[in-house]
Amino acid sequence: MTTTRRNALVRPCTIIYLLLIGLTLLTWALGRFNDRIGLPVATLSMTVLGIALLKGQLIGDFFMGLRRVRGAWRWVVTLWLLLPASLIGYAFLSSY
Amino acid sequence: MTEKNRQPPGDLAIWIFICAELGVFAVFFAAYAFTRAQHVELFNRYQQTLNSNYALINTLALITSSYFVVRAVAAIRDDHQRSCARWLGAAIAMGGVFLVVKSMEYHHHFSAGVTLSTNTFYMFYLSLTFFHFMHVLMGMVILAAVALKARRGGYSASAYTGVETGASYWHMVDLVWIILFPLVYVMR
Repeated sequence: MTTTRRNALVRPCTIIYLLLIGLTLLTWALGRFNDRIGLPVATLSMTVLGIALLKGQLIGDFFMGLRRVRGAWRWVVTLWLLLPASLIGYAFLSSY
Repeated sequence: MTEKNRQPPGDLAIWIFICAELGVFAVFFAAYAFTRAQHVELFNRYQQTLNSNYALINTLALITSSYFVVRAVAAIRDDHQRSCARWLGAAIAMGGVFLVVKSMEYHHHFSAGVTLSTNTFYMFYLSLTFFHFMHVLMGMVILAAVALKARRGGYSASAYTGVETGASYWHMVDLVWIILFPLVYVMR
């Protein structure tokens, strides 16, 4: 479940946590300040969707501990992320 | 090199439950996206009425609570029952932050006369976020039960499946929000 290592200065799970926080702030900032950033809406939407996939995979691998699992269960979160994300991506891209 | 397991952490039954829950949310997300594709202007207009600052605070609260749960599992693996209970207590508190902020958001919309039947966007927004809200509440009850048992010495370094089971459910709640946040509040 966890990514603890006693001799590490900072626990790997803490690094993942900080990465998740950073990616969340990036998602929020892209949405909040896109008027100034000027990304096309399709690029903005696909970028934040991609960030969400990355965050979900990090949670599955490091917080849920699936990177230490082999077999079908290893990929349950990955498959779940890809299924709705591909449908969401298709629906959004077809609407522009 | 860490040895890999065939089973995911915690009780296998919770993972079957998690798969069912994730399936329901996947259908919900797809329904939102495809309905939006038919009503792009409506969804974009009313999405602007949502407060993305509240959503940011809630995302940070859930990620932080998930991190606390990871630390709780690490603590019980080291046979620190009290520390495990404390980390779980902190995770529950962050879940409480989520519920308070979300309630403030709902209060704002309800005060403005928004209901499920106001329009299609609000129907999805309210039902999707409230369904998730109930999962957060359920997760907090599960974590509280696990924390109480951990505090009473019910888990140890050799027997902590219950902690992992509760943790897996809580991470699932976090995982769903990770998609819900950009989908409802940011993507347009």
